[in-house]
Amino acid sequence: MDVQEAVAEGQASVDNGEVKRDGRKQFSMGPGDILEGKLIYDGSVHADGHVEGELRVTGNIDVATGASVKALLEGANVTLKGQVEGMVTARDKLTLGKNARLSGDIQVRRLQIDDGATLNGHVRMGDFEHQASGQ
Amino acid sequence: MTLSTRRPGSRLPTPVPAENGANGQPNSIVLGPNDRLVGQLYIEGDLRVTGTVDGTLEATGDIEIAGGGKVNGDVTAYNRLTVGSDASLIAGDVRVARLTVQDGATFSGKVSMGKHVPSSTPKAPQPEPQPQVEPVVEPVVAEAAVVAAREPTKKGKRR
Repeated sequence: MDVQEAVAEGQASVDNGEVKRDGRKQFSMGPGDILEGKLIYDGSVHADGHVEGELRVTGNIDVATGASVKALLEGANVTLKGQVEGMVTARDKLTLGKNARLSGDIQVRRLQIDDGATLNGHVRMGDFEHQASGQ
Repeated sequence: MTLSTRRPGSRLPTPVPAENGANGQPNSIVLGPNDRLVGQLYIEGDLRVTGTVDGTLEATGDIEIAGGGKVNGDVTAYNRLTVGSDASLIAGDVRVARLTVQDGATFSGKVSMGKHVPSSTPKAPQPEPQPQVEPVVEPVVAEAAVVAAREPTKKGKRR
């Protein structure tokens, strides 16, 4: 198991668990990893294991199949394949894969829901003003 | 020698399409691109919308909003709802068992998924509602009052 030091409490601009890909930063978690707190990150996040709190990233967020997330998620493209509880904002596109289970309100510009995904919540679509990142 | 004066069309009765579910076939309605529905529709079967709907749709089977189909209103599909890439669904409530939204679709509303007639998120623990106790309690109170009333008498007897 590629356990990384990905536990970040409170405000975090984490350097741990960071992988550069195509010159862009990626924060990559493994299935045994736990992230609790608030992560504001200039790059993309691959969330696996357990995430609780708040994730605001400039790049993309993708939540792996076995992951369990109880968090506010905000990213450009957000792809969910695991279980997520919380509000999701996709500045560009939100994709719910066939195994995704999302319970929470979503705000998106584009939306794709694959057959098999479960969604319970309000959907708002369209361009939207930047909501305060520092909330 | 003489040709029939009857037009060929009148010789054959025009076959009436009998696909209204009465013949055991699954019922299915298609609203084409030039079709428009304002109001409510309940259908025991499937519905495909490529036209415009302003109102409430409920189908016991699948609902597909395809092509340039536009639906404004609540949608309930006991089975599956599909919103195509050029289609639009602006709803208050969306209640479906299965949901597919293709990239490019316009979609907004409150989505409740699960088997038909889903209640609120099952994960939310039901907070014990403090029931506004009504007459039910009164007999207990009355009993207690009786007990209380008896108590002194017992004590009185003991004395």
